[in-house]
Amino acid sequence: MFGNKPGGNRLKPAPAAPRAAERAPPRRRLALSSWRDQHLYSLFSSLGRLLARPWATALTALVMGLALALPLLFLILLDNARALSGGWQDAREITVFLKPGVDASASAALAQALRGRADVAAVKQTTPEQGIEEFRAMSGFADALEVLQFNPLPHVLVVTPAAARELDEPAVIAELRRDPQVDLVQYDAAWRRRLGAILGLSQRSVLVLAGLLAMATLLVVGNTVRLDIQARAEEIAVIQLIGASPGFVRRPFLYTGVWYGLFSGVLALVVVFSVQWALRTPVDQLLASYDHRFHLRGLEPLAALSVPFVSAVLGWLGAMLATARHLAEAHPD
Amino acid sequence: MIRFDQVTKRYPSGHEALDELSFELAAGEMAFVTGHSGAGKSTLLKLIGLIERPTRGSVSVNGQNLHGLRRRRIPELRRGIGMVFQDHRLLMDRSVYDNVALPLIIAGLAREEIAKRVRAALDKVGLLERERSAPITLSTGEQQRVGIARAIVAKPSVLIADEPTGNLDPQLSNEIMRLFADFQQVGTTVLVASHDLPLVKRMGKRVLVLDHGRLLDDWRPGGG
Repeated sequence: MFGNKPGGNRLKPAPAAPRAAERAPPRRRLALSSWRDQHLYSLFSSLGRLLARPWATALTALVMGLALALPLLFLILLDNARALSGGWQDAREITVFLKPGVDASASAALAQALRGRADVAAVKQTTPEQGIEEFRAMSGFADALEVLQFNPLPHVLVVTPAAARELDEPAVIAELRRDPQVDLVQYDAAWRRRLGAILGLSQRSVLVLAGLLAMATLLVVGNTVRLDIQARAEEIAVIQLIGASPGFVRRPFLYTGVWYGLFSGVLALVVVFSVQWALRTPVDQLLASYDHRFHLRGLEPLAALSVPFVSAVLGWLGAMLATARHLAEAHPD
Repeated sequence: MIRFDQVTKRYPSGHEALDELSFELAAGEMAFVTGHSGAGKSTLLKLIGLIERPTRGSVSVNGQNLHGLRRRRIPELRRGIGMVFQDHRLLMDRSVYDNVALPLIIAGLAREEIAKRVRAALDKVGLLERERSAPITLSTGEQQRVGIARAIVAKPSVLIADEPTGNLDPQLSNEIMRLFADFQQVGTTVLVASHDLPLVKRMGKRVLVLDHGRLLDDWRPGGG
């Protein structure tokens, strides 16, 4: 049987054997190039392994990609809501309605006194005549106003408080309320605060959701890598027997995790951009009703670039957890 | 150099595979371990590669006592030992070349050096022309020779083989054993476990005969 083999297939005589003198050199001297070779080997062997099963790989990456896209979409939504509400947040004015009997000079005196305060940035005086003109121009009740026999509007002061902490009510409000000349102090802080709180809550919710979904992707990678470890138990056993370090055994699995992370990050971006694209027309129509004062804010380029990076780190972490647990489990010393 | 000193190995099941076994194999010496199945041949080899640890006694390889060897140093020890298995344990999803190259990749050699050494090892076992083949397409004897090429490609100082001819016909077995003898010729310490006593005797090397984990006979060529 052996003898019938072609020449090159036959056992060679002893002289061809490796010489004792040139026996294995010390392995400590791992040159940089061979370290790079080892990593490239793991990088591409893990990639090849993933691409050999394209459907299974795509499915796993898609699950992870959707899990990552969801919080991204919420973040974009929140970002836009914040931008929309930004215009209203600036409305810090306090509107002070003076009692009907208060005349122009008293109004001017009060305005002057208010201007002298440190916590007041500006005071705008509005006489009843100016008030009715504004009302006429803005409300479309011009005809109705004609019927009025006298001007019912009081003197009004619009006080802009100096920039203070967002949530605190300016002290000047309480003082104005006590002033006998003042009829009504209108400060629209409550709804602004409520809106701010809602946005804050939404942001926190999205962050919590993002955390949970990141954990889910971690588990998806971890589980996939665990199955991979089980499927390759024999291979792992063999390379451990021929002297592979734990790092060498772990490396292809870590790269597998990184690849899954990268793929899913790119898929998440595809999903996000697709959703943005799909919603563009109705959103444009909605924004048109705002006189185009607002623009839809999409994912910023830098944030978009960081998505595959973050997901790759997640993949690496998931694979790390799986290998730490299952490689040790598979081969106790 | 391999040295066993009063080595006992008892498995958790209670089975005592080795019982106070002592022997010494000089550097560059070749020996066979033989005995009935379950006599402790495989266990003896496993202790050398630290696949198992002894319950009592000490094993040293190349002057290094394995008792104190930390777990993280085990890979380093194994890189200095070539192991051949009865079922060869090749990675079936890789080519012959890739299988043989594996120990060198693990050791971190440069690519050109790996290519050179893999070809030399495959040439040595007569399979140079099959380097691109998948192991599954080779005959059992050829697969075993790939396993041997993988064991010797990193030029280990110790070569151990567990029933390397267990699945082969007598003529192939003879060829494989000659191959091991060749490695001894170049200074490798070789220890081969085999139950094929006639074959072992024909080789004219030292023979350790195990029986129920004890050393029954230590036969040396030239009347020992």
